[in-house]
Amino acid sequence: MESNTRIILICSGKGGVGKTTLTANLGIALAQQGSKTAVLDADFGLRNLDLLLGLENRIIYTAQEVLEESCRLEQALVKHKQEPNLSLMPAGNPRMLDWLKPDDMQRIVSMLSEEFDYVLIDCPAGVEDGFKNAVAGAKEAIVITNPEVSAVRDADRVIGLLNSNGIKPVQLVLNRVRPKMMASQEMLAVEDVTDILALPLLGLVVEDEQVIVSTNRGEPLTLIGSKSPAAKCYSNIARRLQGEEIPLIDPSKEGSIREKFRRLMQTKIF
Amino acid sequence: MTNYLQDIKLICLSNSKKSHWKEQLTKQIKDPYKKELEIDAQDLLLTCKDIRDLNNIVERNQLKITRFRSHLPETIVSASSLGFETLLTLSSCKKSNQEKYPQSSSSYINNDELFKLLLHQGTLRSGENLTGEGDILLLGDVNPGAKVEARGDILIWGRLRGIAHAGKDGNRQAKIVALELRPLQLRIANAIALGPQEKPEEGLAEEAHLVGEQIIIEPAKPGNFNTAKNNANPTHTKTI
Repeated sequence: MESNTRIILICSGKGGVGKTTLTANLGIALAQQGSKTAVLDADFGLRNLDLLLGLENRIIYTAQEVLEESCRLEQALVKHKQEPNLSLMPAGNPRMLDWLKPDDMQRIVSMLSEEFDYVLIDCPAGVEDGFKNAVAGAKEAIVITNPEVSAVRDADRVIGLLNSNGIKPVQLVLNRVRPKMMASQEMLAVEDVTDILALPLLGLVVEDEQVIVSTNRGEPLTLIGSKSPAAKCYSNIARRLQGEEIPLIDPSKEGSIREKFRRLMQTKIF
Repeated sequence: MTNYLQDIKLICLSNSKKSHWKEQLTKQIKDPYKKELEIDAQDLLLTCKDIRDLNNIVERNQLKITRFRSHLPETIVSASSLGFETLLTLSSCKKSNQEKYPQSSSSYINNDELFKLLLHQGTLRSGENLTGEGDILLLGDVNPGAKVEARGDILIWGRLRGIAHAGKDGNRQAKIVALELRPLQLRIANAIALGPQEKPEEGLAEEAHLVGEQIIIEPAKPGNFNTAKNNANPTHTKTI
């Protein structure tokens, strides 16, 4: 039963820091780089991974039917139309929260791990039952946080819980980095965050308006081959996850005059 | 763990009544072929001063110490504060505990009712609590949102950024010592204080204690803790 599938939990503790966005973009990026990837929406209460991937209207069965054995795994998996290496396992009914047990989660993850190289689990916010269920299936984890004290505090709590559940390795992604504000010390610096959380930094994602646009369209940035800074960050994270060594971006150098000029040229105002 | 280079000699010093550690050392040191030594100070309590003396003897013999090993966290702390590489060797019961929780572990070092020392290895993260019946020695950080409580002193070999409560049953002599003392809140006995706002000087351990009704933070005095304890309770060096 022991397979080489990497089962990665993506969690944050606090809501709204970018778990689902990271899951969607990372899923697409890994698939583009040639790995068979499944994204599992463990946020049964407030599911929206399907929305971000633009797959909402193609869902027929969910994890609920698979666990009840009223359909096969392949029937529930939704293959992404543009990126066939990526499949979504949709979350079931919100009522499922009442009866779902950690065992069920393990069952569905082990089914997925037979067919895929990567299984990304989109964890719900909070540290209650939903979190406990999601942790049960995972082997390793990515903790995502924003450079804000509340998000860092919650991430710290979550890391403690992951450690006591024996999840290893746990890596960190720092989202919504604003290089300008960091330079002027209006925002927590990268070092401040890594100092408290004491985790290896898997990547930084810069604040980017394109993320909002792509979320509303249901087309992850990495899918449309966008040249936006955030898209680059996401695909770098995916490549680091596969073992490539890519240097981290330096927030102080980002947004230099040359970079701004290049971006200005791309906007095609002229 | 016993994968030593050929030219490193292991010297074992133990806490015996028959001979002082200095005698044990000079007896074992006579080996012209070795250049480097590893000291295993099993259950021997060595203060910073002892270790400095020990190093002097070793250097006089044109030798070098590569590492210190001990069962006692006090010895380890003194050795590493002098810049030596250290290894805390744990007793068998602790080892099984560590396998269960690889990231962090805590266990009592001394079974003596009065001076129970709780040794915790690993960082306390937000939401985690550590409570000790006697003193606490924590090897790791205390992050914001975490809390340490002890009936005796609290020693943190790391950064204190959460809440610490020493002498929680009303011991007004209790102290809080940390390599970086930047807590949200400090409590000693019944006194409560907010942590300092400014960043402390780096590399300077600090100590908080009660003066009157106020909690005062001062640069920590090395050896202060050990000597006070030794005078009060000479059997402290005994291990389980």
